[in-house]
Amino acid sequence: MTEPPAAKPAVALRATAAGTAVSLLLILAIVFGSRRLKDFDSALLPYACATVFLAFGVAYRYTVWISSPGARRLFRQGWRSLFSAANFRRAPTALPRMAATYLGFQKFLGARSHARWAAHQLIFWGCLLAAAITLPLTWGWFTFTSSTGSGPGYEMRIWGVKILGFDSLNVLGWLMFHGLDIAAVLVIPGASYFLWRRMKDRGAITGQRFAYDLVPLILLIVISVTGLLLTFSSIFLHGGGYEFLAVLHMVSVVLTLIYIPFGKFFHIVQRPAAVGMQLFKYTARQDEQVFHCRRCGQPVDTAPYVENLRGTMRDLDLGFDAWAEYCPRCKRVLRGTAYLAHVKKGYK
Amino acid sequence: MNRLPLDPSLAPPGTRNFRDAGGIPADRWRADQDGETLVPTHCCFCGVQCGMYLRVDKGGKVFGVEPRNHDINRMRLCPKGINAYQQINHPDRLTAPLLRRSRDEPFREVSWEEALDHTADEVRRIQAAHGNDAFGLLGGASLFSEKTYLVGKFARVALKSRHVDYNGRLCMVSAAGANKLAFGIDRAANPFSDILLTDCLLIAGSNVGECFPVMTQYVWGARDRGASLIVVDPRETAIARTADIHVALKPGTDSAFFNALLHVVIKEELDDEAYVGAHTTGWEEVRDKAMEYPPERAAEICGVPAAQIVEVARTFARAPKAMAWHARGIEHHSQGVENCLSVINLCVATGNLGKPGAGYGTITGQGNGQGGREHGQKADLLPGGRSIMNVEHRRQICEIWGIEESELPPAGTSMMEMVHQMRRQEIRGLIGICNNPFVSLPNYSTVKEGYDTLEFHAQFDFFLSETAANAHVVFPVTTWAEDEGVMANAEARVVKHNKAQEPPAGVRTDTWVICQLAQRLGAGDKFAFAGSREVFDELRTASAGTVNDYYGITYERLEETGGIVWPCPSTDHPGTPRLFEDGRTAHPDGKIHMQVVEWHPPMDPYDDEHPLSLTTGRTVAHFLSGNQTRRLGALVEQTPRPWVEVHPSHGFRNGDPVRVVTRRGREVFPALVTEAIRPDTVFIPYHWPVPTAANALTIDALDPRSKIPEYKVCACRIEPGDRIAEVPAPPTAPGQVAYPAAQVSRTDPLPPTSPQGRGTAERG
Amino acid sequence: MMGRTIFIDPGRCIGCQACVSACRECDSHRGKSMIHLDYPDEGHSVASLPTVCMHCEDPVAPCAEVCPADAILVTADGVVQQADTTRCIGCANCVNACPFGVPKIDLQAKLQMKCNLCYDRTAYGLAPMCATVCPTGALFYGTVEELRAERPGVQVADSFTFGDVVVSTGVAMVVPADKVQWPVPGGLPIVEVNGRTVR
Repeated sequence: MTEPPAAKPAVALRATAAGTAVSLLLILAIVFGSRRLKDFDSALLPYACATVFLAFGVAYRYTVWISSPGARRLFRQGWRSLFSAANFRRAPTALPRMAATYLGFQKFLGARSHARWAAHQLIFWGCLLAAAITLPLTWGWFTFTSSTGSGPGYEMRIWGVKILGFDSLNVLGWLMFHGLDIAAVLVIPGASYFLWRRMKDRGAITGQRFAYDLVPLILLIVISVTGLLLTFSSIFLHGGGYEFLAVLHMVSVVLTLIYIPFGKFFHIVQRPAAVGMQLFKYTARQDEQVFHCRRCGQPVDTAPYVENLRGTMRDLDLGFDAWAEYCPRCKRVLRGTAYLAHVKKGYK
Repeated sequence: MNRLPLDPSLAPPGTRNFRDAGGIPADRWRADQDGETLVPTHCCFCGVQCGMYLRVDKGGKVFGVEPRNHDINRMRLCPKGINAYQQINHPDRLTAPLLRRSRDEPFREVSWEEALDHTADEVRRIQAAHGNDAFGLLGGASLFSEKTYLVGKFARVALKSRHVDYNGRLCMVSAAGANKLAFGIDRAANPFSDILLTDCLLIAGSNVGECFPVMTQYVWGARDRGASLIVVDPRETAIARTADIHVALKPGTDSAFFNALLHVVIKEELDDEAYVGAHTTGWEEVRDKAMEYPPERAAEICGVPAAQIVEVARTFARAPKAMAWHARGIEHHSQGVENCLSVINLCVATGNLGKPGAGYGTITGQGNGQGGREHGQKADLLPGGRSIMNVEHRRQICEIWGIEESELPPAGTSMMEMVHQMRRQEIRGLIGICNNPFVSLPNYSTVKEGYDTLEFHAQFDFFLSETAANAHVVFPVTTWAEDEGVMANAEARVVKHNKAQEPPAGVRTDTWVICQLAQRLGAGDKFAFAGSREVFDELRTASAGTVNDYYGITYERLEETGGIVWPCPSTDHPGTPRLFEDGRTAHPDGKIHMQVVEWHPPMDPYDDEHPLSLTTGRTVAHFLSGNQTRRLGALVEQTPRPWVEVHPSHGFRNGDPVRVVTRRGREVFPALVTEAIRPDTVFIPYHWPVPTAANALTIDALDPRSKIPEYKVCACRIEPGDRIAEVPAPPTAPGQVAYPAAQVSRTDPLPPTSPQGRGTAERG
Repeated sequence: MMGRTIFIDPGRCIGCQACVSACRECDSHRGKSMIHLDYPDEGHSVASLPTVCMHCEDPVAPCAEVCPADAILVTADGVVQQADTTRCIGCANCVNACPFGVPKIDLQAKLQMKCNLCYDRTAYGLAPMCATVCPTGALFYGTVEELRAERPGVQVADSFTFGDVVVSTGVAMVVPADKVQWPVPGGLPIVEVNGRTVR
């Protein structure tokens, strides 16, 4: 399958600039967040480097993405709706509610299939938890220190500031230390379900690509399993095989981070656009700006949306943007009528 | 302002709806790659008998359909055929016998023992008090041939009653009568594949595009090869729309039209004198009668231009090879047999018979419309197409069945006549197998009265039909995919249906139920059949040596060949796809017996109160009484309800409530206003029960010979109505409701976009 | 241009909707029918028009071009796929930009769906479900040579006009011999004559 054509030189330049800027910002944040690398754990350097690559890649891809006419226009409309003060006054809860349903609880996935929704929720919350723990640790923003050297009393510090102290032997402490294990336990069943489904479900198999659809699932499972094995090794095997597992774990994490901007995981970055789109349509619906089909009078979509789409079509030199004022059924019926009138009425 | 939903999305009609997943929520449809079996079989519906594979999962359940490259249909399927498999594991299935002592009580689920014992007790009670003939049996033509054979044998040997008939009486009997009279053999003369070879195809009274959609490929194939197409139909149906000539005649005038064609043929000397001279009797009389029908006279009767009649006659008679096919449109008349004879006369007079691409055929409506009439469930027939009035035939059958000739009852009466006998209490008990007369018989109020008068009534069915819902006992039986058996399609090609899955718990085969009842009635030794295979072996023997000879057809041969056309007298005989190739018919003299046909007006007279013709028919998404198809979500979505089709000249707008009034009833339907129908004719499809039943309005006048009701024409008027009657939900077993997901659109008051159904964008 | 593809002949269509039911049986989207069947001559005749995705070639699938999420991919053999489930945000741009009125949208699932020429079947050499079952050959799958073998002399066209714009497609339509030089009208009504609105 062919992805959309490669970015134009000007866009590529802009994207490179954005990528560079964002990765530099991240490096600065790491340096200052870790109190000039005082809190930085050099063992985590490969992870930190991968996140810098990730930042570059995401910023680059994002810039290319929103440079295409369709995305650019919707991007602008989405932000315009978001920053409209009038909007906020009329429906202050709309945005948080949308974000919660679409991005958090992903209700739309339930409409596709309940099992897929459940599995995706497991992966989503598992990955979120894992990212929330590992990224600050990697960047040296979080530290856990023990005044006694090896516990059980620990202090958690962010940017060097003490946030809380806890006992590693109580529930909170156990949770703090095993957050990543919990994340793995969430991710493994979710990713396994998807992997199983990709072996079995004919709908999913159609057009399935190894690198795009299977690799990310395999990576998630490898990360989670090796992560759990690390814990297993340290508790039950007294560190047996720890080093090998640690390398394997690190390699899979680094690969995943680098993969994000280029593969399936980019949807994590893209998906918030759905909220922007919803907000844009929501705003217009509040003013009852509904566009009706020129021919049959049935609602097509909101009027600003149709205008926005026509603009996109003009940007793309699609010379039939006026056709967007007709609903799909009327387009087909008009084409059918034209065929009957001008091509052939009957059999011959 | 209404509170805006958080999801503000809009989408135009026709882009957003997936509510048509055949009654199964779309997100629960899956296709897993974990091994499935394809069971080759055929469709359960119409007389084309398309081949199909049923997809069976590892658990042994049918879950889908896959096209099959069978000779008949070459992978083509119609919407009914594609959705047919959804009946098999449908939630509305009956899974326990239902019983009640009186119609005032609700049904209760009982054991098979109780239901069978009670039925046998009632049979004995009624027959002891009122004689054997007081108990009747009504079969169906969607049963496998084995089962139709059992129906006839059960009536004569176990019930010992003369009163047996079947729902083919409402369907194919006129053609059967005409075939018997003219040829002495009752089946289409040519296979479908001959259509591809013809130069002129005349289709009379058949909406092929909707009733036999897959047959359209043969019609189009002929046209691709240069054939001209003539369609005779009061409505501009899908095949009529593009036909070379569409004769939109007034309903009930077919024989006048065909006599006039013959008139032109004779006058312009386009007849085949040599053929007629060598192969026919009765030509002189037929010719003299045809001379009384000049095109001008027929034009007046039929309401079509005389020039068109001449054009049709010339096109048909001048074609090197011409063919005529017809269906219910000319058969459902008080002169149905004569209408068919007038078509036969035209083919014979032009020498178009018994040659590749030249001949005559009738398109059977039910899956086993052909096979169902051959083996003895018809009031006057015994297996092998034998006559129950013929002494020699009676003797032969009594010998096969092992009974005394004196024990074999005489001929019975037809289905509609039996209803009148029920009203007069001449028939007091009835078993119905595979039929739904509350929707399918004409003049509903009479039918209801007849059935309500019965002291005892039992039905066999796999969904609770409107008729079964009125019975005392209901036996839950198998669908076509849960048993094996043969059917004969419109070409008289015998095809084998294979068993794809075990029946649900509590469900038995019709064969088992019939044999159990026979046993309780003391005829167990004559009904010791383990299954269809054993019945078929007896059927083969019983048909050996007759016109309808099945002797050479075995299950094994059918599985190897994909179908054999009878007569097939020996196991090395290839079958007989085309009849009369040697110019001989099945009459003892080998001649075609041409019959004089005189046109007469329909039985329901027109007057100022009833100036229009009401004609009825099918729509593509539904089958017969709709007991099967009205439960399948996709088909309900396509066509949720009936309508009345009217010409714009009556001033109604689409969707207006229109009351249709006949001398028998009045009902309100939404108007489907279209120029594709004659201004003096209105059309209603008949698949729905009262208060939306076309057959509450139709007349129960019968053809004197075939006893077919005159469904296709009665006098009516139309007027603005008030409220459009809602389609009732299909009946279900106690404590159940008809599967809601399949019934979503049933209450939609609008007519479909076109007679074929709602366009995909017009659905909710 | 035309390899193995669908050829549509509305003149042969009987409007039976077998394609609509068959599409629903396709394993890659069981339970959801993507094909459209319209009766454009409503009230006058029973004429019907089946619409599958035309798989536009030039310009490159407008649906894919207007997609803000890069969700619609085109395979090397020219098949315009339905939206990638992870990317599609359900904005309906493709639904309303498609000049043929093809894509559908599941509003609850935030997902566009459309005909993908039964990619799960064609990949194994089978014809798409709709063209397999079509009782009339109104939908035919194969090469133009295979079509001509069955229907001698038949002509096809694979370009459509919408106003001044010509769209070339992967799926073709049957046209009479005397009209084969002209693109098939796409049906876009004339809205202006000499600067005067006639809409």
